[in-house]
Amino acid sequence: MFNPYVPIPVTVDKIITEVETKDIKTFRLTFQNKEDENRFQYLPGQFAELSLFGQGESPIGIASSPTQPGYLEFTVQKAGVVTSALHDLEVGAQMGVRGPLGNHWPIDYLEGKQIVIVGGGFAFTTLRSLINYMLDEKNRARFGRIMVVYGARMPGLLLYKDELAAWAKRDDIDLHITVDKGDADWQGKVGFVPMVCREASPCAENSVAVICGPPIMVRLTLPLFYELGFAEENIFTSLEMRMKCGIGKCGRCNIGSKYICKDGPVFSLKEVHSLSPEF
Amino acid sequence: MEKRLIKKAALPGLIGRLSTAATVYGPVKESDYVIFRLLRSGEEPLTDYANSRNAPKQFFFPPREELLRYTRSGRDLTLALADEAIGEAVLFGVRPCDAHSFVLLDMLFDQEKYRDPHYIERREKTTVITMACAHPPYTTCFCTAVDGAPADREGADILLTDLGEDYLAEFLTTKGERLLPHFGDLPAAEATASDRQAAVAAQAASEIQSAPPAKKIKPILDQNFEHKFWDTIHGKCLKCGTCTYLCPTCHCFDISDETKGENGARVRNWDSCMFPLFTKAASGHNPRPSQKERWRQRVMHKFKYYVDNFGAISCVGCGRCVQLCPVNIDIRKIISDIAEL
Repeated sequence: MFNPYVPIPVTVDKIITEVETKDIKTFRLTFQNKEDENRFQYLPGQFAELSLFGQGESPIGIASSPTQPGYLEFTVQKAGVVTSALHDLEVGAQMGVRGPLGNHWPIDYLEGKQIVIVGGGFAFTTLRSLINYMLDEKNRARFGRIMVVYGARMPGLLLYKDELAAWAKRDDIDLHITVDKGDADWQGKVGFVPMVCREASPCAENSVAVICGPPIMVRLTLPLFYELGFAEENIFTSLEMRMKCGIGKCGRCNIGSKYICKDGPVFSLKEVHSLSPEF
Repeated sequence: MEKRLIKKAALPGLIGRLSTAATVYGPVKESDYVIFRLLRSGEEPLTDYANSRNAPKQFFFPPREELLRYTRSGRDLTLALADEAIGEAVLFGVRPCDAHSFVLLDMLFDQEKYRDPHYIERREKTTVITMACAHPPYTTCFCTAVDGAPADREGADILLTDLGEDYLAEFLTTKGERLLPHFGDLPAAEATASDRQAAVAAQAASEIQSAPPAKKIKPILDQNFEHKFWDTIHGKCLKCGTCTYLCPTCHCFDISDETKGENGARVRNWDSCMFPLFTKAASGHNPRPSQKERWRQRVMHKFKYYVDNFGAISCVGCGRCVQLCPVNIDIRKIISDIAEL
């Protein structure tokens, strides 16, 4: 019988410090066994339990795209016991990964539609996975126009800066990068994400919005999307709760009768509103 | 289905003998309590007891269980499966409420997509001998309010019912029938034994004194996640978790690493929704910030969410949480109050 509690052995292949504050790093992990790599079939939006032996596990969204085979990437903020230990690792360290877990962004539903992606701060990770997935040359034709609004508090807190620069050079993605407060070197937009969304005013017709960010950003952005005519079933987000098992058994990550780990983390706003007022 | 008679006086000896040949867990007296535990070889269990303090779910879902072992030396990491061998076992003297809990736990641990190999292997290798309650042992019993009964067959491989001089032994499953040879030469039950069993079962059910309207509250819970009633339960709760640790259906667990030197084990331990840390995130945010939300979760989980997900109430009416809550919070009263909202 498949044992879902046993992590897959991986090696830390690359560590990128993403932000000036140095508390968010991207870890590139490679599989130690080829068969594990073949078995780890995932889609953007899914997560995995990062497993450090002696510290425990932490559920983190997968930031790489399945169109980039050979490795997995996770962008992790240093917060608790496991993530702090992870931040102390060096290239070459061995650790474990359990997954892929949870559901994914609704790729099939997004196909043939205009896509609006709205991300804030450090919640951009699985959105980055989705963007890279859609921009892949084998996939790009399956999706309509792609608009991305991504904001951070300060320029130094934007993730994936090289990738953002590369996307900016493409003509098949409409990129709006913004910061709450600029600095001397910042040439780009200054303004909160909801405000930039209003400027961009994406058309709701045949469009789907995928929104992920800090609660305050989501709360202020949603009314605008309703105003623009997006229906609840055409807005998707990803939820977070404390987790342990990741497979709907340990009993702590439910909102109403749904387990975020197993039934989510991706839900449409329509589903979110039906879960329970706990959210 | 085989139906045999076992002389009442002979039963403890038969189980004692079985415990020399097999791993048998059963009810025994330990200081002031009846507890369910492994019988020593030849040890005879109680056959005349109310119910055990601990719920026998612990033999499928132990309070502490190793999931895997690891060794770290320098940069090297070696993983190994937990080396505990799970063998065949017999649970003797499970009360019907507790046997019912096994069926409810199966729904969770043996789901189509994520099967829990630890639970399932123990469950598959264990034969359950249920002892029907000829008379409900406690005034706090309410199995009949939650789809159970004092002589219920659900979850049992063998059901024993006290018919006065004898026990009627019904070998309900293949697993149960495999134990038949261990009981020696048992006489077949006469045709009237089944009628007598049914009469004992009906009489026992009629003696249940508590009847909280547990099956009526689901539609009320559907509508009342926000209600001032939720402010009224938790005031005296001590957050001790006794209710959840005694509960035959509570299944929440924590996973943590225990390391000594280079070696360690990843362990799962029972956890409780009554504890503040249960849902507290590394950020400091806690979506269930007070005991009010935790109590609401406990009630909703048992009487709404489990029904939503599996079509069954996750309470078997054993009454342990009622008897042993140090501040007398009574789930029966909570159910009755919700029915009046």
